[in-house]
Amino acid sequence: MNKKLLVIVLLMALPIFAYGDSQWILEQSTLTYHVSHPLHQSEGVSHAAKGKGVCHDGQCDFLIAVPVKSFDSGDSNRDLHMLQVTRGAQFPLVTVRTRLPESSATSATIHADLEIQFAGQTSQYKDVVFQLLTQGKEIRILGTIPATLTDFKIDPPTLLTMPVKNEIPIRVEMTWRPQ
Amino acid sequence: MLRNSLQNWRSSVFTLFVFLFVSSACLTAQTNTQDASPQNNAQPAPQENLPNAPSSSSKAPSLSDLGISPEQTQGSAREQALLDKRTHMLKIHQRMGLITTIPLIATVVLGPGAGGKSTSTASRDLHVALGAVTGDLYAITAYYAIRAPRVPGTESRGPIRFHKAMAWIHGPGMILTPILGAMAFNQKSNGEKVHGIAAAHGPVAIVTAGAFAAALVSVSFKF
Repeated sequence: MNKKLLVIVLLMALPIFAYGDSQWILEQSTLTYHVSHPLHQSEGVSHAAKGKGVCHDGQCDFLIAVPVKSFDSGDSNRDLHMLQVTRGAQFPLVTVRTRLPESSATSATIHADLEIQFAGQTSQYKDVVFQLLTQGKEIRILGTIPATLTDFKIDPPTLLTMPVKNEIPIRVEMTWRPQ
Repeated sequence: MLRNSLQNWRSSVFTLFVFLFVSSACLTAQTNTQDASPQNNAQPAPQENLPNAPSSSSKAPSLSDLGISPEQTQGSAREQALLDKRTHMLKIHQRMGLITTIPLIATVVLGPGAGGKSTSTASRDLHVALGAVTGDLYAITAYYAIRAPRVPGTESRGPIRFHKAMAWIHGPGMILTPILGAMAFNQKSNGEKVHGIAAAHGPVAIVTAGAFAAALVSVSFKF
């Protein structure tokens, strides 16, 4: 009797375990860096980020990657200089990794610890605040990463001998959907 | 008696096992619900426990999961060297362009005083000397722009297009202006009034300087 019961329970439980890991896919994204110079305020935008989140045991590991050369500031000369100073040909990808509790999907805001690899350097940002907006099954994430040039050992580019500001905040707008 | 006890023990173990199994299955189902509600049992990690190196997890996604091939992740030292050389040469181009501006302005300012009626004046000689310096510095500036390596597959966009377009005006202007200037200088030295095509020296110089200034401003300020 007990054995039969056990077999039934096992058979019922199998499909549940088959869906053990849920996954999230980055549907669309807009990443915008901002550079300040005494004579210029410029922004570079990329929509080319790819991302995936894998949830397991209530924790979700996220990976987002974006090619450095996909950022477009509307000025090809500036984009090539950006690619050069950030060593974008040598290190063509920016990757962002983070781990969040799965329950945070229902929060209005999240505080994420980010590990960013860029220009051959790795920097960590703690408690970066993101806003979460639920749109049906999709989740929209908005926030700003307070990146600086020194975090990635990038020499500040100069124009007319004046360097740009060290702060290069990156505005993040992403839409994630469950896979 | 012993047999009954053994059966009871086995039965208890089975019941416990089944209970644990069902409980864990329910928990897993709840944590994997995609429309997770705040009431679910997924436990948020304490802030201090948030990992700084999530990549260490065996469950974490990798670049290949994103459809990024190893070739795409590998950088090119040759391409980086090309970009470095391009930037280096364009930095010199920028610096030389700024330096060129100084004698260029001085030459234009001294231009009206270089005419006069006398066959030889100090201001005319100074105008010629400054013009020659401007021409030489301009040639060096242009050299670094022309010889800077092109990056394949890059299409010019933004203010740089105007900057490059202006070169089609100030480039020929910088060749024509000293030629016309030399003709005007000879005519003046011979006691003649500047005439013919040499009379265009001034207007050509003004247009050239204007195009040069516009090229400089176009990449220096945002409009």
